[in-house]
Amino acid sequence: MDVFLDALNSLVQGFTNFTWQQAVMIVLGTGLLYLGIARKIEPLLLVPIGFGVILGNLPLAGMSAHDEGGVINILYKSGILTELFPVLLFIGLGAMIDFSPLLANPSVLIFGAAGQVGIFITLLLALGLGFSRQEAVSISIIGACDGPTAIYVTSKFARDLLPAVSIAAYSYMSLVPIIQPPIMRALTTKKERSIVMAYGEKKVSQRVKILFPVVAGILTILIAPMGAPLMGMLMLGNLLKESGVLGRLVDVSQGAIANITTLFLGLSIGASMLGSNFLQWNPQQWWHSPIMVFALGLVAISLDTVAGILLGKLMRVITRGKINPLIGAAGTSAFPMSARVVQKEGQKANPRSFLLWHAIGANTGGQIGSVMAAAVMLAIMAGMGIGPLS
Amino acid sequence: MDLAFGLTMAAAGIAITLITLYLLTLIISLMNKLFPFKEEPAKKNK
Repeated sequence: MDVFLDALNSLVQGFTNFTWQQAVMIVLGTGLLYLGIARKIEPLLLVPIGFGVILGNLPLAGMSAHDEGGVINILYKSGILTELFPVLLFIGLGAMIDFSPLLANPSVLIFGAAGQVGIFITLLLALGLGFSRQEAVSISIIGACDGPTAIYVTSKFARDLLPAVSIAAYSYMSLVPIIQPPIMRALTTKKERSIVMAYGEKKVSQRVKILFPVVAGILTILIAPMGAPLMGMLMLGNLLKESGVLGRLVDVSQGAIANITTLFLGLSIGASMLGSNFLQWNPQQWWHSPIMVFALGLVAISLDTVAGILLGKLMRVITRGKINPLIGAAGTSAFPMSARVVQKEGQKANPRSFLLWHAIGANTGGQIGSVMAAAVMLAIMAGMGIGPLS
Repeated sequence: MDLAFGLTMAAAGIAITLITLYLLTLIISLMNKLFPFKEEPAKKNK
């Protein structure tokens, strides 16, 4: 009888150890699954994260990222804490990007710098709200509109914020078509949005396409060596693509490497979101919550758009009306969503306007700009003696 | 508020990012001049 009762006891332990925080997190994980599957919002990431949240919050399962020796703990330690997963993702990203529109019209690269201004203003806001330097840097990098970069920086400086930062970064990337248009319309007149830019797909020689990742990699890494893992892998992926002789490696980079890494990255991040940590509420530090991280991320991306459009307006004046200011909004790293939004808004104002080619150039410039901004932040932090977490 | 840190990071961050991308713009323009696009001659049928 005792043996039977012991067996029965072990079978109900899962239920007796179940806490309300875990229940809330499981509901949250289910919500992420709903958003990914039913609403198709970043399903590649939200589905593994959602399921990771559920697995990580089941009592006694040993499936949280913090359960020493567990399967997901091994993935978390080897892929997130070492920053391996976001770096691997950059190989895939580089192999997917076509820099031709940027190489054909290099002046749009400057919009890639304006598209990062929100990062630095949000950094000041986060510091003003009382976040530590490391936390402020990690939150502001959401403005890079670049999931892997945000994860890379946050895993270095503020791992507690990793779930909120990564979900915010990827969610806002997919919400760019909702976030950017109202800002575009508020800051530009219909006359400005109607400007038709000279269209003509300038062709670029294959030599330039091959040389660009090599030269850009060397220059940017010399300036900000701390960003070498990101920029180096991005440019490696692009070189594989443009070399024209490594089809198999390009296929693997774009497919298997990117997909497997995304799956394990999402699962590990989801399983690190424990109710006991994620649902903490301190009235003295009410701002120190995931909701505030989301709010500041939204501010960062909005300010990126504002800065890009304002630079676009300045360029319109300098070029005497040859530049449509909407192009500036594509200077973020949300590729290719921002470029598509610019094309759509331009066509709404003037059906004869085709901005996509120029916007794609600015958008790929934003990709480089976001990695560069992160690299510069890391370099300055290192220069100030603020090292990464051990 | 850690104002000095924030302002240093913001000013240096924006400036260095801008300068780097501007340098890249110059390099790309130079590469385009050194290696302009040329149409490949059509292959003759044997």
